Amino acid sequence: MSPRAAAAAFEAELGRAIDPASVEITGTAFPAYHLSPSSTGEICDVVAACRQHRVPLHPVGLGGRPSHAPEDRPRVLLTTRRLDQVLLLDETSLLVEAQAGLGGLELERALARRGLSLGDYPPAVLASTIGGILAVRTPGKSSARHGFFEDAVVSVSAVLANGRLVHTRMAPRRSTGPDLSRALCGSEGTLGIITSAVLRIHPKPEARFLCAYLLPSVDVAVSAVLLALREEAMPSGMRIYDSEEAAAHFDGLVLPEGQALLVAATAGPTDLAACDRDLLSSAVHAEGGGETDLGLAEAWWRRLHGNEPTLAPAPALQVMARSSKLRGIYAAVRASAQTLGAAARAHLSRFDLDGGVMFFTFTRDGHVLSGLEAGQVLATCAGAADAAGGWLLGARAAKLDSYLLALKRALDPDELMNPGVLG
Amino acid sequence: MFDPVDPDKLRVALEAICGARRVSLRLLDRSTYARDMWPRLLLARRDGEAPAHLPQAVVWPEHVREVASIVKLARELRVPIIPYGGGSGVCGGAVPLHGGVTIDLKRMRELRSVAGEDLICDVDAGMSGERFERELARRGYTFGNFPSSIYCSTVGGWLATRAAGQLSTKYGKVEDRALGLTAVTGAGEIIETDGPHRALRGPNWNQLLLGSEGTLGVITSARLRVSPAPQLSVYRGFELPDMATGIEALRRVMQRGLRPAVLRLYDELDTFMASLGDKPESNAPTPASAGARAPAPPAEKGALPRWPAAEPPKAEGWMSRLVSLARDDGARKQRLRAAGKAVTRAALAHGSLANRLAGVAANTAHRGCRLVVGLEGSRIRTEVEADLTFAELEAAGAKDRGEAPGLAWLAHRYAVSYRMSGVFRDGAFVDTMEVASSWRRLPDLYAAVRAAISAHAVVMAHLSHAYPDGCSIYFTFAATADGARHAERLYDAIWKDGLAAATRVGGTISHHHGVGILKAPYMAGEHGEAMALFRAAKRALDPDGIMNPGKMGLGAPEAPP
Repeated sequence: MSPRAAAAAFEAELGRAIDPASVEITGTAFPAYHLSPSSTGEICDVVAACRQHRVPLHPVGLGGRPSHAPEDRPRVLLTTRRLDQVLLLDETSLLVEAQAGLGGLELERALARRGLSLGDYPPAVLASTIGGILAVRTPGKSSARHGFFEDAVVSVSAVLANGRLVHTRMAPRRSTGPDLSRALCGSEGTLGIITSAVLRIHPKPEARFLCAYLLPSVDVAVSAVLLALREEAMPSGMRIYDSEEAAAHFDGLVLPEGQALLVAATAGPTDLAACDRDLLSSAVHAEGGGETDLGLAEAWWRRLHGNEPTLAPAPALQVMARSSKLRGIYAAVRASAQTLGAAARAHLSRFDLDGGVMFFTFTRDGHVLSGLEAGQVLATCAGAADAAGGWLLGARAAKLDSYLLALKRALDPDELMNPGVLG
Repeated sequence: MFDPVDPDKLRVALEAICGARRVSLRLLDRSTYARDMWPRLLLARRDGEAPAHLPQAVVWPEHVREVASIVKLARELRVPIIPYGGGSGVCGGAVPLHGGVTIDLKRMRELRSVAGEDLICDVDAGMSGERFERELARRGYTFGNFPSSIYCSTVGGWLATRAAGQLSTKYGKVEDRALGLTAVTGAGEIIETDGPHRALRGPNWNQLLLGSEGTLGVITSARLRVSPAPQLSVYRGFELPDMATGIEALRRVMQRGLRPAVLRLYDELDTFMASLGDKPESNAPTPASAGARAPAPPAEKGALPRWPAAEPPKAEGWMSRLVSLARDDGARKQRLRAAGKAVTRAALAHGSLANRLAGVAANTAHRGCRLVVGLEGSRIRTEVEADLTFAELEAAGAKDRGEAPGLAWLAHRYAVSYRMSGVFRDGAFVDTMEVASSWRRLPDLYAAVRAAISAHAVVMAHLSHAYPDGCSIYFTFAATADGARHAERLYDAIWKDGLAAATRVGGTISHHHGVGILKAPYMAGEHGEAMALFRAAKRALDPDGIMNPGKMGLGAPEAPP
């Protein structure tokens, strides 16, 4: 069949699968079919059509087109954006079932109206669709109090490559084989298209306390945070700034060289929130630190929640690390930047019992690096962070690639589901 | 299916990997490894029947490389591999349905390291649960998983079945505590899944291997979360008027963000049976009256007692009481009040009638529902949480019964499982069914499963693993029938009806015991078309289908192409 005839046949099939009003075609020699189905049934039919005609299917999030979709063959670019309903709200069990195309922030707003919340996740983390948040894993989606965002998943519904809609069954915990939901989460559309998810939700906190501390160094601040976590404090957010980062984030703030700023928020039932604040405070004092201007914590909180613009540019390097590695990585990256005549400053955040995430920005003579220069420093510093035991943003368990491929082939023998992603 | 294999050839090949002393083809060893603690197998065993399925060989590797070599050999010879831990499973997961090589991991049994600052440890899969907790306690930590099988189960067995312990409400189930696994896949390759899965892209391999019960690979070691040993533990007993009020009270505690280690709510019958041996004034024996071998709170409060079955005779469980009554044991009978007698005599032979009588008796006794609450952890947070928890419970209608019922539970918490053999010896059988659901479905789940089992057996239940979004219900049932065949038919009917009821009302068929052979027929109802994902993982990790075949509803092993 000629390419033109094949395209015509596929388009005819698409016409049966999905409302033509939901289809937009761009490109001529190798058309790209932009589809925005309005039901899971349509997605099933589209996937089946793709399989029958060997047309690859790339999911598209809020960001637009996927950069990796090769343009030298016909392809489907599918968004779930129109699946944007809350399907179920179980206030007795604190569960919500949301469709994949619903924005995280939209869902959070809907929950807030009923005194509920997805949890201690800053708006930046939720600024994607529910499907996107679950399909693509990044280390920022974690909080000491509510854990990793994915842990909130009770079940998912997804369309597999065979065009079948599957639902993993809902239960608080189970012992009936592997957690099948977790095969789909983080798989970036390569194993199936998530169409909805049941998520654990939380009551909006009764009380919230902010606090700000000054500590002799970043290392000591990390020790204080770890001590508080060990004492079972579960703050809803904590962030450590080194003195350079503090100056960049808080206009005009001058900390003595080497000192660190720790800002935190605790939340929950009033007694628990107060308990967590006191635990953090005693940890700080035990490590030789003390209280500082509360206005700094308030400013941090306002920016975290998008109520005030952040002054500093987005960080260049994100590194996730276990607790014991944080200090070593901080030192290694700083030393590494110095060898190139640059400087690295950082804030550390997203702490829980598994560790924390470090956000580095590179400067030279006080100016944030950009372009080629930044690239060189970034590459060297990323190497240093990796060698010091950190996990870089977007890292993969490469040694398991052959099994991922085998898993994909078992589900998607024609390799049509988001091909080219995840090795 | 699998190829017949020449025993001598198999022996020589296995001995080349592990040496002669760690390979056995002796009938005694093969019979020993033919079963686990699945009660259905004990029925035939009691009647002296030989095991229906035997492994062709048993091996005791000491290193992951040996495990990999054994699996590679099994691939070559096309014989199954059955991983074996403590043999304490209750679903037949370790039964060699298609023969093969049983790999006992208990010689891989070291706690390799404990990283205090990271609160993680590296441990071999074959380490016994008891030794694991003791070693951690010596260093000032706890893993927090205290199943009643802790004296006879292994860390690897826990991970392979997604086990839960008595303190799971605080510490989580083992899948919440596992950060990385080393496993040998069905391809004979060693894989490591360590890494924070919130930072790594791709599917979460930990969550795919956990609970796979040896059908995808053999877990050989793990990196697990540990917690500092508790500085404080607080135990308390409460009484609630009925299950509905109790369920609501538990939900309120969990949704307040509180994390007690223990929240055990016993239904009316369970409360009533447990109270039959009590003095009228107190709901439970006080630990001070415990025998010389019993742990002595508060010194050992929360820690692992030295003897699992250490308890005073009067704190015997309902099971032994049922059996002793069935035997018309005069001395014991005298200790029971009239209501109890009526129930227990009829119980074993006429489950349905007994349940009705028991209900009447329990209601007449006005015992309500007993709730045991325990909190432990760092001093300050535990104190604050205890106050909030107790206040929340009282606000929900619970009456504080003081420390004694809590401590009594704590003192005897490992004893119950060890009474099973007596029940079987005396001609009855007993088993447990642990289902779970969201809070909204929980009252239906309790009613539906209870009604389904009630038709066949005496049944009672408690809630013991609570989450903010739901809870598990642990049903215990006992019955009797003449001869193993009749008993098996009755046993199967109980499970069929009980699990069908759980599925019908939207619960899961297993919270922490696993699937094995027992629940394999119900996996299709449990997962529906999502089983395609499990089957895909099976094909990816075990291309030849040699890993623990015939289990978990993955279908019969296929013939070679």
